Order: sequence, then C-alpha cells, then structure tokens
Amino acid sequence: MNIYITDGSEDAFYSAAFYACTDADCVVTSAKHIQLTLDARIIPTDADPEKCARVKNKLAQYDRGSLGDISLILRRGCDTREMTALNYLRRIVQSKGPVRDRLSDPAVIEAMDEREKVTLEAHRFKGFLRFMESEGGIFYAPFAPDNDILELILPHFLRRLPTQAFVIHDTLRHKAALWNGKDCAIAATDENVSVCFSPEEENFQKLWREYYRSVNIAQRPHEKQMKGYMPVRYWKFMPEKNPNLR
Amino acid sequence: MIDAKRLSILTESAKYDVSCSSSGSARANKKGGVGNASIGGICHSFTPDGRCISLLKILLSNKCVYNCLYCPNRAEADVERASATPDEICELVMSFYKRNYIEGLFLSSAVEKSPDYTMERLVETIIRLRKVYNFNGYIHLKGIPSADRALISRAARYADRMSFNVEFPSENSLKLLAPQKSKEGLLIPMKQLAAEKQAFSAEEKAKKISKFLPAGQTTQMIVGASPESDGRILRLSEAMYRKFSLKRVYYSSYVPVVHHSLLPDKCTGLLREHRLYQADWLMRFYGFSAGEIAGEGENLPEEYDPKCAWALKNMHLFPVEINSAPLEMLLRVPGIGTLGAYKIIKARKFTSLNFDNLAKMRIVLKRAKHFITCGGKFFGCENISSVRTLLALESKEEKYEQLSLFSTPETSLSALTGQL
Repeated sequence: MNIYITDGSEDAFYSAAFYACTDADCVVTSAKHIQLTLDARIIPTDADPEKCARVKNKLAQYDRGSLGDISLILRRGCDTREMTALNYLRRIVQSKGPVRDRLSDPAVIEAMDEREKVTLEAHRFKGFLRFMESEGGIFYAPFAPDNDILELILPHFLRRLPTQAFVIHDTLRHKAALWNGKDCAIAATDENVSVCFSPEEENFQKLWREYYRSVNIAQRPHEKQMKGYMPVRYWKFMPEKNPNLR
Repeated sequence: MIDAKRLSILTESAKYDVSCSSSGSARANKKGGVGNASIGGICHSFTPDGRCISLLKILLSNKCVYNCLYCPNRAEADVERASATPDEICELVMSFYKRNYIEGLFLSSAVEKSPDYTMERLVETIIRLRKVYNFNGYIHLKGIPSADRALISRAARYADRMSFNVEFPSENSLKLLAPQKSKEGLLIPMKQLAAEKQAFSAEEKAKKISKFLPAGQTTQMIVGASPESDGRILRLSEAMYRKFSLKRVYYSSYVPVVHHSLLPDKCTGLLREHRLYQADWLMRFYGFSAGEIAGEGENLPEEYDPKCAWALKNMHLFPVEINSAPLEMLLRVPGIGTLGAYKIIKARKFTSLNFDNLAKMRIVLKRAKHFITCGGKFFGCENISSVRTLLALESKEEKYEQLSLFSTPETSLSALTGQL
C-alpha cells in the first residue's frame, strides 16, 4: 500500500492525486503522526507545478466548481481531509462530470458534509470574532478555529471595516492577517502575542458584559440551546463569556 | 458615553421584542464609512435563554405616556426610568460594531410625550448614525403607532427594516388591553410603507438611487393574553403576509410581568408559541394555507406538529412514492423538511432511492415512514389510529425534552427554523 505524504498544501495534494487517483488502496495524508501497516510504502510528495496543473485542468474541464469544493475540504482540521477530497475527486473523474448532486453516494455525502463544516465555521466566526482595541488604535482579534478559515473570513472584514486597521490572529495555526487600511498581508506568528490595550477597551468590554446580562430573559433558561449554537470551545476570546479575557 | 446603569434599564425594557434577525439587506460599505449588511444575517452571540444577539436592542427612552396593561413600562408602573441621547446611542453602536459585538442597531422607544415627538427622536438618531457617524450596518427601527406619515416615510429611507407591532390578534383585545393604541394607527403605516416600497423599487431599479427599507417589515403579537384561537391568529398572519408583504410575523407567548384582572396569571406555554411558528413556516415555505392548517375557531393540536395533523386528516393522499412524488407533495410529508425534499429531488435524478439511501442522506424516517413508499415498499403502519398514537407518543417525548430545554440539535434547530 502506498502512502503519499504531503505538506498539507493544495498543490501538494493535487500532485499526489496525479498518481493516487488510480492507485486503488493508497492513502494521501498530511498528518504528522501516521500508523504504518506492514506493507506500507511511504512516498513523500512535494508540490509539482506541472502535475498539479494537469490534474486541476482536467477537473475544471469536468466540473469547474469542484476546485472550490476541494479547496474548502482541504481546510478541514482533521487528518482524513485529503482522503475525503481524493474520493470526491475520483468520483468526478469516473463520471466525467459534476457529482455534487448525487446525494445518495457515500463519497459525495462525506465531501459535502466536510465542506459544510468548513463553511459553517467560517460563517459563525463572522459573528463570534471579537476585536480589542490596542494602544496604537489597531484592533486585535485572536481566535482558535477548528478549521483553517482565516483566509475565508478575511474578505468579509476587509469589506466591512475598511477604515479600521486590524489584525486577525489564528492562535492555533500561528498565522495572522494584517490590515493597515491600505495593504493586507498574511504572516506567520508566535502562539502568543503580547498586546497593550487602549484605556477605553476595558470599559467597553464591561458595557458589553452588562448588555449581555440585561438582554437575557432569565425566566426562560435554555442553556443547552445556547451551547448548541455557540460551542463552549469558542468562548475563550469572547468578553461576554470569559470574564478573565486579556 | 452611556453608563452601565442606564444601558441596563434601556435594554431590560427592550428585551421582550422578539425580533433579532439581521437578514434581508445587502447594504454595501460606502467609501470612508463603517460597516455593511450581510444578506443572510449574522448572529454574534447567544444568551442563556437560547436566543441570539445580532443587533444592539435598546430603547431611546422608557418613559411612557401610554398605559398598556401588559407592559412593564406602562405609565402607571413603578419602574426606574431612563433615556439616552441620540449621540450616546450612536457612540455605543459604533464602539460595539468596531469590536464585532453586533451586526447593527434595533432601536425602539416608549411613547414619550406624543407619538410624533418620539418618532422624531428615533428618526433623528438613525439619520445621525448614517450621516454623521457614517454607519452602513444594519438598522431595525420600531415604528411608533399613529406617528406622522412623513416621518415614517423618512425613517424608511435610512432603516433596513421597520416594524409596527400589532400586539394582539384582534381589535377588541387591543382596545381592551392597550387602550391608547388603535388598529388604524398600526395598520395604516404598515400599508403605507408597503405601498411606498413597491413604488420605490420600480424607481430604484431605473435610477439606482438610495434604498427604501431593503429588508422590509415585520410585526409581533402576544399570544395567550387574549382569547383568540390559533386559527384566527394564523388567518391574520396570512392576510398580513399577503397584503403588506411582511417578511416575518413574530409570536411571543405571554409572560405575566404585570398583574391585572383582565390578564391571565399564568405564562402561556412555550409549546403553543412553538406550534404557531411551525404553522407559520408551513404557510411561508411549504405551500400550506391557513385554512388547511386550522379551522377559524380551532387551536393547533398539542399532541403533534401541524403538518402531522394535516396529514392525518388527509390520509387518502398517502403514501407517496419518494422516487416520483412532485416537490409540493414531498414537502407535505411529515418529517421531511425543505432541505430533505430538495435533497431527494436532486439525488433521485441519478438513481432510484431506497430506505437505506434515505437514512444515509439523514432523512429522518420516524414520522415519514408512515406516509411514504420507496420503490413501492412500505414500512409504516397500515392502521391510521395506530399511526396517530405513534406520532403523538413520539411528539410527547420531544415535548418533555422541549420543556426541559430542547435537547437534541435537531429539535432545537427545528424550534428555531420551524423545519418539520
């Protein structure tokens, strides 16, 4: 059995898929720890522009939208993402056309589910992300999403707050998007960044906590529903849920 | 800047307004401005009562000259009073918005001095927010009944959504419980806005001029404080959806904050509110009419959801074959929601579906199995009275869970979306 190891990038995945697509029981993965079977043959695969382009062209020919689907699936925060994407890709190649409406096909169900998990989390963080004003007037927003969604939510905040300098920091993947009102860049960071906050910041957090407390109808408790919509793991950076923020 | 104490008073008074959606408007960010609106709406937080926070819901003032019996802020009530200036509201919105706490503002007010005075202050505030503070985010403005026509029309050019609350399902109840409000004072502005929006949208397309209430109108009524039946309520909603092109009707089950001989002492159960929302969804997304769901004087059944009730009355139309039934019929199968119906329509183009496929597609079959066949096979119960019992039993389990908090993600989602 062949195991193609990639660096997790999209290009490396397509380069591996060049062979893996027809390599019936192979594994493609970018996981750091993998379990090896006795007959495993490890094939480290780097991005190869030529092979990558050939696979992508073919896919685009069959179904233009599939490249977007796969790009989203590869942002999943679980180790099986490459296999989900590969199985979906195989189906498209087999049927020489779009398969996303074949909703009773297990490979398609899985691909669409994983894609949905990524887009859902990106949608949620458009709401749950919290900015804090730093001393220099730059707004800093740390978050730790399950999936690699920084690039997905960035355009939303660039459209929404174009006049506000901000930093959105994915503390798990150690990268941040920087916007100064003119240019935008994505940079690698340390896990923790120390930021000095503006003197008003604490006051606004206090007001927000007060608002959060007042708007609740205490006679109708429904904590389970709250947690269903706003999972506890996201609370860490939300002032209304974390009194010890900062 | 507003202090925590006044913020708390003005929020406490605003929190019984149910509407919190921020959808329906795609207002773009103007150059140099702050914010935009997102067409699908965005939830920014959730409170321990399970409701979402999308907008900063606040009153400009809770000093009221009206004496509506059910209202905690009525003139005679002994509560702390406060008000905020337009600038205080604007500053608060801007600083919350920049931190991504909120999607916009939901501004309302008690009737201070007179309807026109109050409406003027509300309009002044949102114009200030748009023009001076350059805010392009979402604004939901509550309309004050009987306010001046021109003021209401002006407000609609700056707000994304407006709402006049009809409060009660009948004129009689309104007269009895909110003596200073009148049916005309509520319905005439709604009619006016609907007509103006229609005229405006023709013009808007031609000239691309500024917006007029892009997210339309909504309304709210209190259920259980007055004797109207569910059938009556649904007919009223249906008429309002049709005549005023409302986006939503919100139902708020009555919570006794005030004791009065004309008002019930008990809370109206959440179940009744839930059933009304389910019926409302059936009218808006499933092609049902109010007449099909409940008779004029009837209440919705407690034992099972309104779609089950309809299906049980119309057993001669079932079972339907999953692989050939038209969309309208799939939507009428208990247990199959809009999402499920569309999934089935797509998937069956490629292959004939069996029960196994449906399960894999996560179509819930507990209720549906009594009403469908897959490739001619039927796994439900033949006897209608046992179907009735089974559905009621299943719904009972759900109900108990519901009262003690919606437990499974599906039921809680259903409570919010009304998906059956």
